[in-house]
Amino acid sequence: MKLGDHTITPTKIICVGTNYMDHIKETGLEIPKEPVIFPKTMNCLILNNEPIIYPRFLYNNRKLNRVDYEVELAFIIKDKCKNVPLDKVYDRILGYTVFNDVTARKMQVKDIVSKLPWFRSKSFDSFAPIGPRIAEIDEINDPHNLNIELKVNGETKQSSNTKYLLFKIPELLEYISKLFTLEAGDIIATGTPAGIGPIHPGDKIEASIEKIGTLTNKVILEGE
Amino acid sequence: MLNIKIGKDTIYPTKIVCLGRNYLDHIKETNAPIPKEPIFFVKTLNTLVTDGNPIIYPNILYSNQEYNRVDHEVELAFIISQTCKNIHVENAYDYVLGYSVFLDITARKMQIRDRNIKLPWYRSKNFDTFSAIGPRIVHKSEIDDPHNLDIQLEINGEIRQQSNTKHMLFKMPEILEHLSKFVTFVAGDIIATGTPSGIGPIQPGDVIKASIEKIGHISHDVLLEKMK
Repeated sequence: MKLGDHTITPTKIICVGTNYMDHIKETGLEIPKEPVIFPKTMNCLILNNEPIIYPRFLYNNRKLNRVDYEVELAFIIKDKCKNVPLDKVYDRILGYTVFNDVTARKMQVKDIVSKLPWFRSKSFDSFAPIGPRIAEIDEINDPHNLNIELKVNGETKQSSNTKYLLFKIPELLEYISKLFTLEAGDIIATGTPAGIGPIHPGDKIEASIEKIGTLTNKVILEGE
Repeated sequence: MLNIKIGKDTIYPTKIVCLGRNYLDHIKETNAPIPKEPIFFVKTLNTLVTDGNPIIYPNILYSNQEYNRVDHEVELAFIISQTCKNIHVENAYDYVLGYSVFLDITARKMQIRDRNIKLPWYRSKNFDTFSAIGPRIVHKSEIDDPHNLDIQLEINGEIRQQSNTKHMLFKMPEILEHLSKFVTFVAGDIIATGTPSGIGPIQPGDVIKASIEKIGHISHDVLLEKMK
């Protein structure tokens, strides 16, 4: 897949949940002692200006008809790695991009309460917009001091700064690479700040991070 | 793209989707409720190993009393033959390439702990080498009824799991119809259909042999992860 000037071939997308204090407060979840991680699959990925498809069977079901945006800073793995020590983390990172972890919220809440996997609510086609480009690692001095924002139809809904990340990029990569081998092109999304809320067919979603750019996606109903 | 050679076929999977709680005997042994629709989760591609290669027991599990149980789960897997979405039951087999034996290795204590505090099931299922597959892909035309196959797992020659795929709660056509409502599948994607009763721990030094009638068996040594 082509992200600006870069072509990457990811084998997995790993997302971090509950990683901004303000978001942890709004969800009422506990402060995690170690990173909370879950996957998204490749069918989720779409690029800048491609539509987010609102699945019809969610839209038509009152128990399932809430789908949310979540703007996140993502980083891309440069080469194959396992057990990366904290002080070597940035050697393994190609760069940064904007990520929108679109989530079928009512389905997720229902599954969490029943202690079921989180996967299905996160995995629909087009539920992982990414882009508009990869800012290479040396373009950004401090990835933990970037304004991060999301607008729906021009109205700001999320506005924070990556300095509020609970687990920072080095801790995340050290932790995740203890568990799994990562490959070049793999995508790690670092979690979303407060202000999550619903999207609807017809909405225009603009997710931005300072020094990287803006990722724009329209929402359409499946089949339209 | 990652390629994997299973027997004489090379496939390019982009995802592995696994069913949970799909054999009634296994549902009973875990005291879980009978699901009304398929329960599924994902394994990532770092987990794949083929027949004859070792399953690595991670040190961070082995050396921690809260996490030191890793289980075997033998399963029938099917491989997708072409891109598909919103498949209907009656056309499901048009999108199936064939069948293989699958081992869904699971860090059980970690899974139970994560589930009890309402966390994702992901990490306990996704250590490197935690998905063994093989020894070959049997083309769907070779097996008349994939829902009538003996399925078995042995550790060091002793039978631990023994059942038949006829006891699956959701059969393959229903599984593919349901899953393809959520995700687009592409050629090479792997779907594992759940495990029967008899799940139990593996230990470094064990030899695991998982077999399914008309497909064959896969055999794996369990090794403790070497520390650098």
